[in-house]
Amino acid sequence: MGASVIPGPVVGDMGGDAAVPTAIPPTSVNFPSPTGQPVVVDVRDLTTYFYTYDGVVRALEGVSFKLRRGELLGLVGETGCGKSVTAFSITRLVAEPPGRIVGGKVLFRGANLLWGLDGEATFKPVRKSDRVKVRRHFRKIKAAQTRISSVRGRGIAMIFQEPGQAMNPVFPISDQVGEAILLHRGMEVIDGLLNATPDGPDVQPAIEKLASLGQDAEPRLVRAAAMELGRAVNLTTFGIEAYYVAREQFPDYREHVIADLNRRLRRLRLTRLQRSYLQRERRLAELDQEMRGVLLEEMRQGTLIGPPKRRIRSAQMRARSRGFYFRVWGVKRRASFPLREETFWRVVSVLEGVQIANPAQVARGYPHELSGGMVQRVMIAMALSSDPDVLLADEPTTALDVTIQAQILELMRDLRHRVGTAILLITHDLAVVAEVADRVAVMYAGQIIEMAPVKELFSSPLHPYSQGLLSSIPRFDQPNRKLESIYGSVPNLIHPPTGCRFHPRCPHAMPMCQESRPPLTVEGPGHHVACFLYKGPPAVE
Amino acid sequence: MLGGSYDAQASDSDILLAGFNLRKYFPIRGGLFSTHVGDVQAVDGVSITVGRGETVGLVGESGCGKTTVGRLLMRLIEPTSGHAFYRPPPEVYARLDELYRTLAPFAHANNGAAELTPEAKEALNELDKLAQQYSIFRKSHRQMMEIRSKFQIVFQDPFSSLGPRLLVRDIVAEPLEVHHIGNSTERNQRVLELLADVGLNPEHMWRFPHEFSGGQRQRICIARALALRPEFIVLDEPTSALDVSVQAQVLNILQRLQDQYNLSYLFISHHLSVVRAVSDRVLVMYLGRVCEEAPTDELFQRPLHPYTQALLSAIPIPDPTLGRTRLVLSGDVPSPAAPPSGCRFHTRCPSVMPVCSRVDPPNVEIRPKHWVSCHLYPPPGAEALPGMERATTSPSTSSALPSDSAPITPGITG
Repeated sequence: MGASVIPGPVVGDMGGDAAVPTAIPPTSVNFPSPTGQPVVVDVRDLTTYFYTYDGVVRALEGVSFKLRRGELLGLVGETGCGKSVTAFSITRLVAEPPGRIVGGKVLFRGANLLWGLDGEATFKPVRKSDRVKVRRHFRKIKAAQTRISSVRGRGIAMIFQEPGQAMNPVFPISDQVGEAILLHRGMEVIDGLLNATPDGPDVQPAIEKLASLGQDAEPRLVRAAAMELGRAVNLTTFGIEAYYVAREQFPDYREHVIADLNRRLRRLRLTRLQRSYLQRERRLAELDQEMRGVLLEEMRQGTLIGPPKRRIRSAQMRARSRGFYFRVWGVKRRASFPLREETFWRVVSVLEGVQIANPAQVARGYPHELSGGMVQRVMIAMALSSDPDVLLADEPTTALDVTIQAQILELMRDLRHRVGTAILLITHDLAVVAEVADRVAVMYAGQIIEMAPVKELFSSPLHPYSQGLLSSIPRFDQPNRKLESIYGSVPNLIHPPTGCRFHPRCPHAMPMCQESRPPLTVEGPGHHVACFLYKGPPAVE
Repeated sequence: MLGGSYDAQASDSDILLAGFNLRKYFPIRGGLFSTHVGDVQAVDGVSITVGRGETVGLVGESGCGKTTVGRLLMRLIEPTSGHAFYRPPPEVYARLDELYRTLAPFAHANNGAAELTPEAKEALNELDKLAQQYSIFRKSHRQMMEIRSKFQIVFQDPFSSLGPRLLVRDIVAEPLEVHHIGNSTERNQRVLELLADVGLNPEHMWRFPHEFSGGQRQRICIARALALRPEFIVLDEPTSALDVSVQAQVLNILQRLQDQYNLSYLFISHHLSVVRAVSDRVLVMYLGRVCEEAPTDELFQRPLHPYTQALLSAIPIPDPTLGRTRLVLSGDVPSPAAPPSGCRFHTRCPSVMPVCSRVDPPNVEIRPKHWVSCHLYPPPGAEALPGMERATTSPSTSSALPSDSAPITPGITG
C-alpha cells in the first residue's frame, strides 16, 4: 500500500496541486517560472502574530512566495522584519504561546502543513473585559505535531541561526548528528550493513594494498586505496573508516594496519542476534516511512485517513513485540553495536562533507570544544545529511568568517545541483544573496515588498526600501561610493504604520500610502513589487 | 618584527601612536594545581603605527588577535612584551625604528636565528632605556589618566557596552566625571553637544539605553567616546551588530566626526568591504601576526600575500552579474594555542613551499609602504633559503611581482 493514495475529491480549499494554479483571475498576469521546475513549497498569505502583554505584535502579515525545486530564494531584510518568523512558521516551530499562526497556508508538495490549525484551540471572550479565554485541544495539537514531524528533517530541513544553542551540550557530536541520520535515512544505513561483504574475494587484497602504501604516502593515494577497500566490502563508510585508520602513525605500520582493519571487519560479520536486531529496526523504519506517507496524504487531502494508520500502528506493535529479548539488560547493547559503529562512521563522512578537518576526532567531541564556525558547520551537516527537499537556512553564515562562509556557500550550491534541494536563504547580507540566489524577496516589517530575479533586483530595484537598502551597502569593488542611509528606523510592529508600512521612512511617500496597503503588482518577468509608485497588473503568487 | 608603517616622507610629528613588536600570550592553566601548561599566542609580534587624522584598518578572521591589538594599544591589558609610544618625539621615533630594524631578525625564536650579536644586545639595552622613558606601558597610573583621555574605544556590541541602569546623560557624562571636568550644568551642555554631533535629539538625554535601537545605542557609545575630545579612537567592530542601512548611518557619522575633529581611528573589522570604505591603510592579520600591510587601494587592487588574496576573493560582492572564480581556502584557522611553525599560514596556503613550515618569513617592503611577510617575496639581495622551490604547481606561479600596469584582484574578472 505504501504511501496510500486514497481516491477522493480534492477539497477545493486546499488548492490541489500547488504546481498548477487552478483558477487565475483573467486580469492577472502570471509569468512562467524562471526555472520551470515544480513548486515544492508554496506559502500563501502567511500571517503570524505574537500575543504579548504590550499588545499584539504583527510579525508576519500576508507573506506569499513559491519555492521551486533546486531554486535558491534569498529572503533579505533588517533585523526584526520577520525573516526568521517566516521560516519558523513554515515548519510550525513558532513558540505557541505567545506566537500563533493566524492564517495562511504552507503547501509542501501540495500538502497544507497548517491544516487543522483552527481546531487546535477555541477562544472565548471573557465577559466585561478585553481578555480571551483559550481552551487548547491537546489531542489535536498532538496529532498536528505528529503530522508536521513527518515533514521536518527529510522534507523540510532547517539550519538555525544560533549554532551554540541548537546543539545539546551533554551529548557528543556523533550522537546528535547520528540521531538525525538514523531518523531520516535509517533504512539506508541498515541496508548497507546487511548487504556488506566482509569476506568478499577482493577484501584481503585491498587491505594488503592499503597497508603497503606506507605511512608517508600521499593522502590522495591512501584515500583512493581506502575507497577501493570500501567497494570491496560493499560499504562506503568502511572505506572512510579504513582511511582514518591508515592515516594514523604506527611504529610497525603495515602489520598494525592489517591487524586493525581485520579487527574492524569483524563488526560487519553479523551474529544472529545482531542480524535480527537490524531486521527489526529496518522494519520499524519502513513502517515509519509508510506512516509519514499517510500523514502527508492527510495534509494533502485535508481529511483524516483512519484505516491505513491503524494498520501501520498494529504492524508497529507487532514489530516491536518481536524483539522482547532486547529488553534484557546488555542484550540490546551488544545487538546494536554494528549499527552504532556504522552510524558513527556515517557521521564522520557527513562531517567530511562540510570540510571539517579531522572529522573522526570532532565527532567524538562535545559542542563546547568546537569553535562557533565549526558548530555551525556541524549543524549544516546535520541538516544536509538527510538530503532534504527544502532547506530553510536562517542566517547560516552570519557567525562565520568570510573564508568559511565561502566554503559553506559552495556546499549549498553543490546540494542544489546534486539533490535538487530548494533553499530559502534568510540573511541580512545582500552580498551573499547576490552571490548565490536565483531570486530575492525583500521583507520589510512583516511583509514581502519586492520579489525579483537576483540580477533584476540588483540592477533595477523598484521599491524605495530596496533602493535604500542597496545603496547603503559598502561595496568592496566600488570603494569611493558615498553610502546612503535610510532615514529613521524599523517600526514597532505592535502599532505598525497604517497603509504601506514603509511610508514614514519613504522619500516618495504620498497621501494614499498612509491609507491603504499597496498590492503586489507585476512589473516585469517575475518581478513583483508592493508600492503605489508602480501601476502594473496585480500579481498572482 | 617591524611593521612597515613608518613613512619617511611624512613629518614624524604626525605619528600619534606607535606599537612595536607587541606580544600578548594568555596563559593556559590546567592539570594538577592549575599549573601553566601553555600559552594562547593571541598577538605575536605586531607593530602598528597610527598617524594623525588617519584611519587604519585591521582585518582578519575571528580569533586572529585583532581585538587584542586594540586593547593593547589602549593599555586595557598589559603586553607580554613590546612597547607602545604615544606621540613620540620625532628623533625618538626615528631611533626606535632603527633599533627595531636591527632587532627584527631575532624576533622569533624558531626561525633559526643565531644568538644575539653584540650590536643587537646593545640595541636591546638602548631600547629598554627608551621604553622606560616613553612607552605607555611604563607610565604610572596618574600619567596614564592623562594619556587615556586622548584614547577612546567603541566596542562591538552596543547592547552590552552601555550600563542598563544609567541614563544616557550619565553614560555620556561619565568620562567627564571621571576626569573632573566641568560642573553639572557644563556637563549637561557638553552632553547635548555630543548628542547633536552623533545625530541624536536632546530629549534622548533622559532615557535609558533599552529604549534605543542598535544603531542609536552605537551612536551613544560614540558620543561617550567623544566626550573628552580624544585624538584616537579604537573602533572594535563598531557596525557588525547593526543592519546595513543603520551601518551606513554610523559609518557616515564616524567619517563626519573624523573630518570635524581630525580624529585618528583604528578600525577593527572582519568585514572587508566596510574596511575598504573607511580606511586609509590596512593591516591584514592572521593568527596573531600581521601578514600584509598596505595603503587601502594598493592592498585591495594588488594583494600580494596568499592569505590576503584568498580573503579578498572570499568576499561576496553584491553584484550578481560579476562572474568570479573563487579561491576557496580549505580547512579551518589553526588554534593559537598551538600555532604552526614557520609561516603560520602554511597549513592552508595554496602556494606553500617546504621552507614555509620551518622559517618565519621576513617582513619586506615590496613597494613604498606596502609590506608583506611571505617567502614568495624574499627581501632584495637575500640569498635563497633551502626549500624555497615549489612543492606543487599552483596558478600563481612565480614570486615575481605583478606589473603595476595590470592591477590584479584575484577572482574578479569582468
